[in-house]
Amino acid sequence: MKNQALLNKKPFEINYGQETETEINKLVKIINQTPTLKSLYPPRWLAIKLLESDEDIAQRLSAIPGSTELYTEAQASVESLKKILGDDVDILMADQRYRWINSLVKEVVMKPDQSILTNSDKIDKIVTNRFLGIPIFLIFMWIVFKLTADVSAPYLDWVEGVINGPIARWTTSFLGWIGLGDTWVVSLFMDGIIAGVGGVLVFVPVLMFLYIALAVLEDSGYMARAAFVMDRLMHALGLHGKSFLPMLVGFGCTVPAIYATRTLENKNDRILTGLLVPFMSCGARLPVYVLFASIFFPKNSGKVIFSMYLLGIVVAILLGVIFKRTLFKGKEQSAFVMELPPYRIPTLKGVWRHTWERTGAFVKKAWTIIMATSVILWFLMSIPTGGQGSFANTEIGNSVFASVSKAIAPAFKPLGFNSWEASGALVTGFVAKEVVISTMSQAYAAGEPDEEVEETPTFLEDLGEIVKSFAESTLDTIKSLPLIVGVNLLGEEEEAEPTALMDAIKESFEESSNGNGWLAALSYMVFVLIYTPCMVAIAAEWHELGAKWTWVSIFGQLFLAWLLSFIVFQGGILLGLG
Amino acid sequence: MIPLSMTATGELVQLVNILGGEEIKRRLAALGLTPGIKLCVVQNAGGPLLISVRDSRIALGRGVAHKIMVCHQ
Repeated sequence: MKNQALLNKKPFEINYGQETETEINKLVKIINQTPTLKSLYPPRWLAIKLLESDEDIAQRLSAIPGSTELYTEAQASVESLKKILGDDVDILMADQRYRWINSLVKEVVMKPDQSILTNSDKIDKIVTNRFLGIPIFLIFMWIVFKLTADVSAPYLDWVEGVINGPIARWTTSFLGWIGLGDTWVVSLFMDGIIAGVGGVLVFVPVLMFLYIALAVLEDSGYMARAAFVMDRLMHALGLHGKSFLPMLVGFGCTVPAIYATRTLENKNDRILTGLLVPFMSCGARLPVYVLFASIFFPKNSGKVIFSMYLLGIVVAILLGVIFKRTLFKGKEQSAFVMELPPYRIPTLKGVWRHTWERTGAFVKKAWTIIMATSVILWFLMSIPTGGQGSFANTEIGNSVFASVSKAIAPAFKPLGFNSWEASGALVTGFVAKEVVISTMSQAYAAGEPDEEVEETPTFLEDLGEIVKSFAESTLDTIKSLPLIVGVNLLGEEEEAEPTALMDAIKESFEESSNGNGWLAALSYMVFVLIYTPCMVAIAAEWHELGAKWTWVSIFGQLFLAWLLSFIVFQGGILLGLG
Repeated sequence: MIPLSMTATGELVQLVNILGGEEIKRRLAALGLTPGIKLCVVQNAGGPLLISVRDSRIALGRGVAHKIMVCHQ
């Protein structure tokens, strides 16, 4: 009965004053006579939007037949109201709305004396302070990085273990069971799909921790303050205060970073930020630096890796300044206007929803694109050329993939690395930076030594192991929380001995660069830093920036990567550093 | 009448008008910045400003603050 009464109740309306109401009713009458409009929008709402000169609605209306009369009538109403009321009607309507809110608030909310600062204000006094603001912001970011890099590591190992252990075993047994054992299909699944897709899924825990941290910062209200604090700095670069967030997320992963440009209202700001984000060195590029730095700069590996991150930032800053003066010259920058919500304690539900939405979107994208490229790559690596070997049973050096890599290799000659293995790894690196090293280890045929054959566990043992190792990972994660403040409870990791792969890379780079191996390695790292991050990032750019800017981005990055690597290698030789 | 950017932290001022296009006027109005409203400058120390208007806190870039004309009461 009560629900029925609610349904019959007249919808809530704000009275905008006699003159405005007359015009609203006039427009509502026209809308009611046009069935196409009436079925699409609530009449009163549409009339109000028209009086507010809402551009989005004007655009939508232009596509609906029979709306021209309404539109001209609305324009006339806006004009006549401006004459009568002496100000723009949309401003007056906003004012009316606030008046109504104010009167309601007065009736229902008890407030302490106005002069008392709210808790939110007290926090803001410190957090947005002109001197303390940036240090506080950096501390928060440090925590976010530690969370994503160190604390998520045990889960990363767990996912890797599950994919390469039980899932790989189950797939093999299943294929054997349906009679496809010992065929090329097994190799397609194991070396193609599980190696490729699995390699990307391993990063899900890292992303989840990143998203949890970001959701907490967002829901608490701090993120808006961060944009406020960074606005001044970003402004100097010709960027928007809100551009900072995507740039920051870019150090974790370029894909969510490109999606994060959505928070910018102005299209030009979005495009400019989207073009610069890929230069923030993402997590997937780090293993490449680590490997090369440990081969060629064993004593200074930390500094070399750090300088890669720094180079990415410098390139982004310079490009930002150049773009602002050329491509985006004279384009109006949108005003920085943002409401700072009061601080709140984030709810579990809200954080979980944010995290899940974003992680799910990543998994879906990774799944489709990486799956397709992994399969294609597997075929290219399996088809022999020159009549040696047979399909799926060929030396990788004789495959189509090797031939393609050999054809591209001369382009890298001036950069100091023209072995087909190194250039082939750059080709697959186009798909994802995660596979640069795995391609190298396959191509140099120096893969990890085969693990000792263990007794195959049963299905139930596998399941038990998955649950057990998950619990262990959780324990390790809790233990790793103090890492944020620099306390290590996990014990030192074992130092890796130089592997066969490291020796092979060293030899190959020394040879291709005429003995300037370390310059070639540096040039290779620079190339990995600057060129296209991955297929998924391209898909994200396509989605967010459109086809044109995606192509600009891809070719621009390739050109810049080649140019900077050239300068590093040839410049190094000219200076006699080699 | 002075631009909002020239006010000092803690000042209480009244908005007179906004020198700018329709778009920015509409956006500011939607956040409650309409002519005649009283607002408090919470922070103005170089860079963006923080103001308190109609019980909410709003961050304004310096560029926008130049365009908002206010007067002391």
